[in-house]
Order: sequence, then structure tokens, then C-alpha cells
Amino acid sequence: MNEKRVQSGRYFMMGNVACAEGAIAAGCEFAAGYPITPATEIANTLAERLPKVGGAFFQMEDEISSIAAVIGASWAGKKAMTATSGPGISLMLENIGFAIGVETPCVIVNVQRGAPSTGMPTIGIQGDMVQAKHGSHGDYEIIALCPSSPQEMFDHTVLAFNYAEKYRTPVFILSDAFVGHMREEVTIPEADRIERIYRKIPAPGTDPLEIKGFLDEDVAPMPIFGQGFKAHVTSSCHDEVGKRNLIDISALDKFIRKLSNKILKHRDEITLVEKDYEGAEVVLVSYGAVARAARAAALRAREEGFPVGTLRLITPWPFPSAEIERMARTAKHVIVLENNLGQMYPYIKAEAAPFSQVSFLPPRWVGEIHDPEHILTKIREVLR
Amino acid sequence: MSELTHPLHRFIRPTVPHSTFCPGCGDGIVAQSILRAIDELGMDLDDFVFVSGIGCAAWIPSPLFNADVLHTTHGRPIAFAFGIKAGLPNKKVMVVSGDGDLVAIGGNHLIQNARRNADLTVLCINNGIYGMTGGQAAPTTPMGVRTTTTPYGTFENPFEDISAMVIAAGASFVARWTTAHPRELTRSIKKAIQRKGFSFIEVLSQCPVQFGRKAGLSGAVQMIEDYKKRSLLAREAGKLGPEERKGRIVVGELVEMDKPEMFEEVQKMKARAEGGVS
Amino acid sequence: MQIRIYPERCKGVEECGLCLHVCKKQVFKPSEGLNLRGYRPPEIENEKACTACENCMIFCPDFALVVAGKKGKRGGPA
Repeated sequence: MNEKRVQSGRYFMMGNVACAEGAIAAGCEFAAGYPITPATEIANTLAERLPKVGGAFFQMEDEISSIAAVIGASWAGKKAMTATSGPGISLMLENIGFAIGVETPCVIVNVQRGAPSTGMPTIGIQGDMVQAKHGSHGDYEIIALCPSSPQEMFDHTVLAFNYAEKYRTPVFILSDAFVGHMREEVTIPEADRIERIYRKIPAPGTDPLEIKGFLDEDVAPMPIFGQGFKAHVTSSCHDEVGKRNLIDISALDKFIRKLSNKILKHRDEITLVEKDYEGAEVVLVSYGAVARAARAAALRAREEGFPVGTLRLITPWPFPSAEIERMARTAKHVIVLENNLGQMYPYIKAEAAPFSQVSFLPPRWVGEIHDPEHILTKIREVLR
Repeated sequence: MSELTHPLHRFIRPTVPHSTFCPGCGDGIVAQSILRAIDELGMDLDDFVFVSGIGCAAWIPSPLFNADVLHTTHGRPIAFAFGIKAGLPNKKVMVVSGDGDLVAIGGNHLIQNARRNADLTVLCINNGIYGMTGGQAAPTTPMGVRTTTTPYGTFENPFEDISAMVIAAGASFVARWTTAHPRELTRSIKKAIQRKGFSFIEVLSQCPVQFGRKAGLSGAVQMIEDYKKRSLLAREAGKLGPEERKGRIVVGELVEMDKPEMFEEVQKMKARAEGGVS
Repeated sequence: MQIRIYPERCKGVEECGLCLHVCKKQVFKPSEGLNLRGYRPPEIENEKACTACENCMIFCPDFALVVAGKKGKRGGPA
């Protein structure tokens, strides 16, 4: 590896390393984190590579200060990220809420591991899916991406930075120990093939009193520090100019709705799914590592003559309700496959149940990616 | 005839006609001391980024100062300030927050950044109480005081000396003053702004409403007189024994030293990385 | 004018009163009336006694007093 940000080429690369390379390719300049299995390789790679391209990685005293420093660096104008696992996300949630409340672009990688609590650090589960959407207090929307491979660890991290900058929001990469630690072919494109978005900021020299830096459903320009914008940035309920309002309920309602609508209004542009369910009676819905098993099961099922398709959620949040409904209208049976006790399942079921039978299938033991044979057994059962 | 104007009003955010401090609150005196320091240095508020946490003292820069201000979650302003300084190394990053925010919930961030000797100026406004939430005991509240959560009197030993803890953690500049010493405070703030390294200033500040009334004190005037009477310059304190120092407030610039500053070390690290030396 | 009071910023001689206390020359006294927020500001009783020590300006928590400096450096005409 040399001093170039974009290490174009074909590699046999670990998922976590690909994630770090994606961040660097996207223009990340600041990273802060705390060691935690199974995410530490991201920190190691950033620590080694960022200083060669003008950035730096800081190991902070805990995950709380890690995300705080990321938010501070973002307000200083830098593309910033952190990487951790479930226990670290739990610590970060208050400050993630802060980032949402003041509309701060940043990328948060969660390489999910056996949970709850200390759990099983080197085993992947999909146990923190709802945490990403509801873990911090209050109503809010979030963007999350679920890579299924080391290639996607690279691609989705680039995309995460672009989403974060475009919509001025934290963006989660919800990976897991399997995808993080597996090695597979990764192609890093030429630098000019990689799109890089930077947040809109007010024009230099704008009168600070004229700046409306918050609560625009089409994303307000970010009055970053150090430019004379004299931004007042508080996660207290505030108005479009950042003025605190702790009294008027109408101001609170606006604060809540504007922040959520900023994401929901652009849901169609944000949502990414991979569909392969044309003519299918049974559709397997999955995301992340489990989607690899779903695909294998669907191929095998079709060989046996079963009309099976797949719908892979690349962005589980904002919840892709339109895509779920569209799929459910064409299917007879929806089987939701997750490596947990059913986290996306209730949301998918609520959307799909009016149109289709919906069931949930975990692996034989939570903590393993489903055996495709196990999925086939379920398919045969619902089609009987 | 043209009218006299307050020289510091130009630093106040135009949309903020009054401070929200209680009458007689020492935080207003601290606010003036900070702005006077910046004024005397001939600096502009745009040379700074201010960071504050949750509590009354955090309302010193937010929303009063007409500058870049980040009002963070409770206990964490120093951690946010770290990231801001990393991204804007040429700006002065100043944290202004209270004793509860910086030393209780935020204690570890204070200790670690003092240890790092990260180039930040941190003002810890110590009023001995959690004022904003109505007057609960803080780690700085003396033993026996009745607060809303200690209705029979506090039973915890309070901090003996916050500044001593910060010195022990490794800060390269530590001073303590009270709101009875606004001119000396301004002088120390000027020094802190101009030097590199972790510069910590503890300021004892009267809270007549939430602390004073509970401790049987009669108001701002009495509390400031009490600070003045109990204060002891550091060089004088050295001559007294422990019994004579009891109940006294040791004020002054307690420590000032040269040691590697973290962000300068980061630059050296980057040079090593780019040069291919590991 | 050597001293200017901003009565609408003041939080009252009864609740605060620091300016009256730190002035060594008894320049101020409580005013008769209240400001718009119900506080009683000080008013100037004996301006000639003022030595421009600036104590009142420095100790006012509300930026409500300005004194023309000794060397005219600070608090000069608008």
C-alpha cells in the first residue's frame, strides 16, 4: 500500500480492511475509535493508512468520546467515521442522537457480534438492526446499509459517506463478524470512477444572521466551524437558525417532523434493494451475510422446480416499505430470514401481511448463517 | 454627544438581549472575564470555537457569544472539542462548562485530555451544586448541605481539590480563581489562550439561588465576599500548615510547564508515516 | 458621560446588587422604578465621586454597566 487514497486494483481482501479502504477512497480524513472485536481491523487499517493521505486515526478513551470527536471533526469540516460493535454502539447512542439532532454527516460502522451484552465477540449475528433505528431516545430516521461481502464493505462505505454528506445525517454500516472477517475478491476502481459528495455549506462571506443552517427537509447548508458563520449548534429543540426554543410545543413538533422528513422525503432516492422475484410464489427476504444463504437456497429451489425468488434489503433503514409492498403483492409466501430472533421481521410482516403469508426463519442456532438446506426445508413446507 | 457603549456588547450574539443567568450569578462575571481577555488580546471571536456541555455554566458561550458555538451532551464537551481541534488546528478551541459536567459525568474526558496535554483551553466553572436542575448535590458540594436529593444533608466527601487532580493527570497549565478575582482570571485566560497544551482554569463561581440559599448564604454579595476572605494566593498557601489551610481557597497559577503537546506530536507522526518510517 | 447603565439588562439591586457593593465611592443608589422585567436597576447618585476603577463594569454579571476607562482606552464613545 502506498500514499494514494484510492488503491485501485483487484485484491483478496478482508471485509474490515475493505471498509477502511472504502472510507479512505471516499475522502475520510478523521477517524476515532476504541478497540473492539470484531471491528478492530478497521481501526488498524485507518491508523496505518490515514496519516499517509493527510488524515489521522485517534484511539479515544472510550466509544462515547470516539463518536463525540467524530461529530466535532465533522463540524470542523472533515469527513469523519468510527467503527465498533454492539457494545460500542450502545455507549454511543446518546451522541448519535446528538448527531441526528444537529444534522451532522458521519459514518458509523457496526460489525455486529453475538449479543446481548458481552455475548460472543467473534461470531456474527444481526442483533443490532432495530437498535440502529430506535436505539437513541425520541423519534428519528436513520440511513443504514447492510453489506453482504468484502466488496460491498468497500462499496457501501463509499456510499455511506455520500449519503451522510448529502443528507447531513449519521449513516450506519450494519455489518457482522462474518462479513467483517471473511476474505474475498475486492475490486477497487480507478479514482475517477468513484463519486464523492461533500455537504453543501453557505457561500463564504454570507451574513451569519442570514444563515438558516437547520431543519430544512431538502437539507440546509451546513454552517461548519471556522468559516465565520458563527453557528450556534445545539441539540436542544431549536429553529432553522439554531436558536434554542424550550417552550413552544409547535417548535418541538417542527423539530421532530423536519428532522424525520428530511430522510423520509428522499426515501425513494436512498432505498436500495436487490430483487430477483419475477414470477416467484415464495420470496426470501434477507440482508447482509444471510442474503448469501438466501441466494444459494433460491437457486437450489428453482433447480427443483419451486417458484422461489429473493429480495435483498441493502438499505434496511429508512424502512423500504414501498419495496416490501410491491414484492408482497406478487408473492404468496414471504419468508423473512434473519440471524436473530426477528428484528426486521415485524416491520416486514406489517407491510406484507395484507397481501401475502409472512413467516420468519432463523438459522438452527442464532449465530450461524442459515444452511441453505434448512431454508429449502421451510420452502417445501410453505408450498405444501 | 455620542453615547458610551459597553466594549464587550459587540461580542454578544445580536439575537440575545439578556443572559439567562439568575440575578447575581457568577457565570456572568466569568462571561465578561473571557470576552475581556479576547478583547485585550486584540483577537476576534472568529479565531475561536467554543464548546460547552449541559448546565448553567454551559450557557456562558451558548447562546451569548457571537461565535461558532457547539453545545454538546452532558459531560462530553472536551471530547467534542478534541475532534474540532483536530479538524481546525489553527483555531483556538475553548471549553466552558461546569463542575458537574466536566468533573462528574465528564471526569474521564478531563483526565485523559489533561494527560494527552491536548491543545485546548478548559474553564471549569465550579459552583458546588447542580444548579440547572434545581439544586442537587454535586461532587463539589460540602458535607452536610441539604439539597433536593440529599434532604438530610450530603453524606459524601466532596472533591478536595479538582485542580490538583488535573495537575496529577498531566495538564501543562492549571490555575484557580474565583469570581472575586475577575481581573486575575482574565490575565490567566489570556495566558491559556496564547499557549499550547492543555490549559485548565478552575473558577469558583457563586450560585446564590440554588446553592447559596441551601447553604444559608444571603446572596451574591455575601458569597463573593466569602470567596475573597477565604482565598489564599498559592505562594502564601505554601507557608501554612494543613490546619491553617482548611476551608481556604488556594488561588493563582498553580502549574505552568513545557511538555509535548499532543497535536504537535500528531504532526510528527504524520511526517513519519509519509516518510515511510514506522 | 463617564458611566452608562443599561437598565433593561440589569437584574436588580435587591437580587444582585454587586455594583453597589463593589463601588468604593458610593456612586450608585437603587432607582425608584423597576425595569420592564420587574428588576430595580441602580442609578447614578454621585458621578463626580467616580474614579473610573471599573469595578462595577467588571463585576456586573449582565454587561449592564460601562465606565469610561482611565486612559480612555476602553468604553470610549460609540
